[in-house]
Amino acid sequence: MSGLLSLQDITAGYAGHEVVKGASLSVEAGEFCALLGLNGCGKTTLLRAACGLLPLQGGRCTVQQQDCTHLDERRRACLMSYIPQRGSLIMGKTVLEVVLMGFNPRLRLLDSPGETHKKAALENLDRLGLLALAGRDYAQLSEGQKQLVILARALSQDTPVMLMDEPDSALDFVNRHMVLAKIREVLHDRQRAGLITLHDPNFALTYCDRLLLMKDGRITAEIDMKKVTREEVQAALGLIYGEIAVLEYAGRYIMTKRAQEG
Amino acid sequence: MSEQTLVQNRKPVIRSLWIVGAFIVLTFLASVCIGNYAISLPEIGAILTGGEVNAMTRKVFFTLRLPRACMGLMAGAGLGVAGSVYQMIFKNPLASPDIIGVSSGANLGAAVAIVSVGTGVGGIAAGAFAGGLLAVAFVMLLVRATRANTTATYVLAGIVISAVAKSVIMLLKYYADSESNLAAIEYWTMGSFAGVTAGKVFSVLPFWLIGFAGLFLLRRQVGLLSLNEEECRMLGVRLHQVRLAVLTLSTLLVASIVSITGLISFIGLIAPHIARMMIKRENTDTMVLSAMVGGAVLLVADILARSLYAGGLPISILTTVIGVPVLVYFMCKRREGKV
Repeated sequence: MSGLLSLQDITAGYAGHEVVKGASLSVEAGEFCALLGLNGCGKTTLLRAACGLLPLQGGRCTVQQQDCTHLDERRRACLMSYIPQRGSLIMGKTVLEVVLMGFNPRLRLLDSPGETHKKAALENLDRLGLLALAGRDYAQLSEGQKQLVILARALSQDTPVMLMDEPDSALDFVNRHMVLAKIREVLHDRQRAGLITLHDPNFALTYCDRLLLMKDGRITAEIDMKKVTREEVQAALGLIYGEIAVLEYAGRYIMTKRAQEG
Repeated sequence: MSEQTLVQNRKPVIRSLWIVGAFIVLTFLASVCIGNYAISLPEIGAILTGGEVNAMTRKVFFTLRLPRACMGLMAGAGLGVAGSVYQMIFKNPLASPDIIGVSSGANLGAAVAIVSVGTGVGGIAAGAFAGGLLAVAFVMLLVRATRANTTATYVLAGIVISAVAKSVIMLLKYYADSESNLAAIEYWTMGSFAGVTAGKVFSVLPFWLIGFAGLFLLRRQVGLLSLNEEECRMLGVRLHQVRLAVLTLSTLLVASIVSITGLISFIGLIAPHIARMMIKRENTDTMVLSAMVGGAVLLVADILARSLYAGGLPISILTTVIGVPVLVYFMCKRREGKV
């Protein structure tokens, strides 16, 4: 299996209980892939296993053909970045300081970020339209702005693979669209491999290039948004979400619960 | 908007550093001058420039006042830095340097030394230093044994080890000779700068320097440790190693201080709060300012301790008197949601 990020036959779980049972997937450069599934299907566990936050009970995770199962945190952080559901509580730090944290894996232990890092961080903020916020206190931003700053931090980390665990879960409707659109744009521009877990399939249908559907700890189906018909999308999503209908609107697909008959 | 204004305005930070710095110079001079045997500023000038001074004045200056003022500054700065580091990495505004057991360990070490080799100061200091390090070593072993390597486990293990240390101290006190040993154990927990000599300061200086400088060298990692553990690891922080290094350095720092002075309450807790209130930030500037505030407050407390009562009061009485209003102020601010 090729691909920038490749997970092969991953088994992982908690305290003797396997949640992910032999899941395989790969993500190409410049591709935004969503991991979809119901609660408890193992999508977050699979993502955490790929990050190395959970030890693998079986399988392999490679980035650019390099096995990263046993890398330490620092080396791993040069290959993959991570955006959590909700970032840490960060007090008393400016937006720029938060973005500069992204350079940590590439700095030596005792070094501080220099002028070149500052410039790069400001460029990344500018890229997301946040330049004017650089000197502001991070804690005072809105949740949507905070998530964008964390995205700018991940961009500064400058890794081939970007992993995201429901980064939209704390956001309102408008911010969700804004953040996901930015993530998509950046992944395409910089040719990164992006893997995201999402709850709402409609956001995945709108923004992602490929949808990986998870059930019972395995990837059971995938939908390539470039070459798929409405019927195929409906059939694939139906396997997971049950009685649903997929509608077409302005060239996009939208999933909704099918009306009860009778 | 120029790039400079975009990035941040450092003026308030620099002003705070200057103000506290000037205050430290003043209190340090006052600490050298004030005491049972007063030394005047011209006399200090004469001593430093090699001029004509009364032999007694020279002796008091070099063997008593200067070491005592230096120790006050070192102790306050060390506890202030350790406090601000602990509040960051334990993500808890009430964390103080004794949270993982260094103080109770030092207390036990001092008590063991008093009971076994008597009230000689060298033995007590060595016992306290070893006790503080051992307690934290046990905490780290306990965390390893539980295999739940999170910051919360460190706090719990600290509580366990402190409890064990305290019960052994009670046992020692119960059997201690109530005339001298019991009093010495009790007195040690109140802290004092009265017994500070140049020899003692020099003997702990290397450990103090390693701890103090080490924490500043690792300042960026300390800032990252204030994030959630997963986020921190995904930003490339080798969590276990870095946390172990930071805790070891701060333990060295605190143990080097309390082994000479005995327990000093509240400084490690309030200095970071005062620093944060002044500059409203949480980064390396806070560590620096917290060290400076700790030094200044402790110098003031020590001057009061020896001027309010001829025999000298225990230092923790004064630091508590200063610390409590600060904490109450902090509580009020917190209610208003400003901290």
